[in-house]
Amino acid sequence: MPQAFRFTLADDAHTVGIHARRPALVVDVDGVTHVVRETRENDGDAVLLEVAGRSYRVWRTREGNRVHLHLGGRSFSVGYEDAITQARLEAGGDAEVRADMPGVVVAVHRAAGDPVSAGDTLLVIESMKMQINVVAPRDGVVETVHVEATQTFDKGAVLIALAEDA
Amino acid sequence: MLDSILIANRGEIACRVLRTARRLGLRTIAVYHHADRHAPHVTLADEAVELEADAPTAAYLDSGQIVAVARERGAACVHPGYGFLAENAGFAAAVEAAGLTFVGPQPEVIRLMGDKVHAREFAVAAGVPVAPSVLQEGDLDAFVSAASAIGFPLLIKAAAGGGGKGMSIVRAAGELAARAATATAEAERYFADGRVYAERYIERPRHIEVQVLGDGHGNVVHLFERECSVQRRFQKIIEEAPAARLDPALREQICAAAVDLAARANYRNAGTVEFILAPDDAFYFLEMNTRLQVEHPVTELILGVDLVEAQLRVAAGDGLPWTQDAIRPRGHAIECRVCCEDPAADFRPATGSARILRVPELPGVRFDGGLVEGQAITAAFDSMVGKLCGYGTERDAAIERCLAALGEFVLLGVDNNLDYLGRVLDHPAFRAAELHTGFVVEHAADLVPPALDDVDRAAVLTAAALAVDDFRELAYGTPEPHAAIGGWRN
Repeated sequence: MPQAFRFTLADDAHTVGIHARRPALVVDVDGVTHVVRETRENDGDAVLLEVAGRSYRVWRTREGNRVHLHLGGRSFSVGYEDAITQARLEAGGDAEVRADMPGVVVAVHRAAGDPVSAGDTLLVIESMKMQINVVAPRDGVVETVHVEATQTFDKGAVLIALAEDA
Repeated sequence: MLDSILIANRGEIACRVLRTARRLGLRTIAVYHHADRHAPHVTLADEAVELEADAPTAAYLDSGQIVAVARERGAACVHPGYGFLAENAGFAAAVEAAGLTFVGPQPEVIRLMGDKVHAREFAVAAGVPVAPSVLQEGDLDAFVSAASAIGFPLLIKAAAGGGGKGMSIVRAAGELAARAATATAEAERYFADGRVYAERYIERPRHIEVQVLGDGHGNVVHLFERECSVQRRFQKIIEEAPAARLDPALREQICAAAVDLAARANYRNAGTVEFILAPDDAFYFLEMNTRLQVEHPVTELILGVDLVEAQLRVAAGDGLPWTQDAIRPRGHAIECRVCCEDPAADFRPATGSARILRVPELPGVRFDGGLVEGQAITAAFDSMVGKLCGYGTERDAAIERCLAALGEFVLLGVDNNLDYLGRVLDHPAFRAAELHTGFVVEHAADLVPPALDDVDRAAVLTAAALAVDDFRELAYGTPEPHAAIGGWRN
């Protein structure tokens, strides 16, 4: 089960994971796998990207948590949500870590009373056929773990709560 | 010929003028604000002089300082470009008072045409049709009743205005008083001149303009027309020459009217007479721009001429370089204004930096730019950073060349309208030349970005993911050296 990376394109959330690395790179985008081949063009700094048999000439540049790219004659700006930012967004007031899509709990790494640092993995969940690490949005102490392994949850469910006065 | 030139401008137009001046062997002098010290017009010129000013735009508007630099550096002439001081009669007069040649019309002609009310009166006297209108002179009630008598819809404009500021369309008598008061306040604020006027608003109007060149002694030639109907927020974004679907007899009438007007003014140098063309083929004088226009390249492309060279020859007193009979259009040209703005947010100007810039070099494609990779795009200046032109034997070929170039044009790091321009050109109504100034509003629903299919969306997301270090590391096992990644700019 691949680890999911979270992206936004035109305000919609997407996940990209790695399904296989050999013999060819296979990515998993929103639960669908695609064979990918990336080569560098000789005469410039564009990249040739082949996805599911289609070829694209790509120019790209990363600026903070955004990737600006030119692909197939159009420009796109894709937001990348690193785990801590994502957790902060979902924590709503920093106290509760919520699920932004339905899924199932794979593993619970922390228990009530545990001190945590921002970025520490609290839980591993599975959503859209991908594993996602749920990390601490900030330093603090776990107050309650609301779920256990194999338990399913709905979008918006509180997974874990941090103590208020951390 | 003149031996040296100071260019009182920046950006693409300064570069444009510089290229011709250099080709003709003139010593070139650029002026710039500190914020532009690495800009291409500074590096392209033989000499560059920094202007002292806090705000960047203030530097290029500082008539006294620019004239002083021109004298110090021994410039034979001053080219104002467009915008900034280009239509400032006081600047033209100051240049001439300093004993230098102003590459443009006489100061009194700039002053005349700069006042929309006087320009209209002048057009009427020249026998050029104008739309029925009424000027507000003090009494709001009298203005409202006189304007209502013209009939609705009405267009309210500032007498001293330009660029769409202070303009509004009034469709009902009840709105008129309030809108007139607002327009007066806006005109006061933008132009320090509260006079406004109301004229009949033509539904689905086309914007047709005629390029003219005069010698200052009553001899004027026209260089045919351009159509600039595709506008957003009252500002042009796509122009073409010749106008598509224009009856030859009507074309001749419009061009003749422009020549009559310019000849009556003893017009000197390059200018543009703008008209509104109604669906019933009636045309009305809009205004005269007493300078080189942004969209002059499309005229150059269909005529095979260099308008800046013509300007310099006229300024040097060599007279008109061509007779009317020698000017023959061939083919079709389309210009797309490349602007840093967000078409999805009502074309709001965008800031950022040109982190990756790749300008395509294709046959039949011309790009006039003033931007280099890495350059910051700030709110200090106009959002237009360049002009992409396509030329072909037919209009369709010009469209295809523009589309090919727009697709290959890479500008990353700042929102821009490249994709949007492509969608406009590719729209069936544009291809059919069903143009009017409300085009982008009428077709707004069709001009949003098309949805991606699943594979294309996956490609976009995968390309983005592969720009993220953690993802790359996971994909390829070991982190690759920076240089091997490719397509990477920070």
